[in-house]
Amino acid sequence: MNTIFDVLADPTRRRIMDLLRERPRLVGELTDLLEISQPGVSKQLRVLREAGLVQVRKDAQRRWYELRPEPLAELDEWLESYRHLWDERYDRLDKYLQELQAKEKNDDQK
Amino acid sequence: MTKNKAPYTTPSDREFVMERLFDAPRELVWQAWTKPEHLTHWWGPKGWTLPVCKVDFRPGGIWHYCMRGPGGEESWGKAIYREIVEPERIVYLDTFADEAGNPIEGAPEMLITVTFTEQGSRTKLSTHTLFTSAADLESVLAMGMVEGVTQTWDRLEEHLASL
Repeated sequence: MNTIFDVLADPTRRRIMDLLRERPRLVGELTDLLEISQPGVSKQLRVLREAGLVQVRKDAQRRWYELRPEPLAELDEWLESYRHLWDERYDRLDKYLQELQAKEKNDDQK
Repeated sequence: MTKNKAPYTTPSDREFVMERLFDAPRELVWQAWTKPEHLTHWWGPKGWTLPVCKVDFRPGGIWHYCMRGPGGEESWGKAIYREIVEPERIVYLDTFADEAGNPIEGAPEMLITVTFTEQGSRTKLSTHTLFTSAADLESVLAMGMVEGVTQTWDRLEEHLASL
């Protein structure tokens, strides 16, 4: 099972997501825009669908591929946790530096 | 002192920057970042301790540490110092490792640059993260491209600005 990170690591898949962000598209359009073969595009679309990043909407005989942004919340959470990590470190460092300086001051007064 | 919790910025799709001003002279902040006897007091997340912290502070040297959580859980980290410019800058590669220092396969690697800038009697600290491993985090950072995410960040930034 690919993680969302694996899925998005591929530049072609990122390009597809970019194009789908503009609007839903047909495979043929993607093939033209990306200048790769239709089987190639279909293969990448399958990976994106399995990851839940893309969904298909059927309209008569046509299949529209559209973006499904929900899984990207994972990335957002990851980034938020990274921010949080640094925030906590900074908080602790700040407190520790205050303690060190208070101690220095005390030592000086002795 | 008021809490100056900093928002982060993402100058490019592979970078993450956070800054904060500390009410302490640069020399002291530098010591706190580079000496194990200081690092053990603050490096881990809140409520965690640092039972192991070995620092070989020179370019190419390794900083290997263990963080222990309130429930006894352990997380090992290994950093490799790339560049040291006392007292202004430290560059290191941040990785995940096991107790023996072996890298954990597939874990992200980040190149961190810590910059210490004097501002009168205070010190501005800036940590700049460059995500280096291709597979996982380069892609996190495809994030700029994706709407839902960007909107959330905008909200987060607004929120932080309002604090």
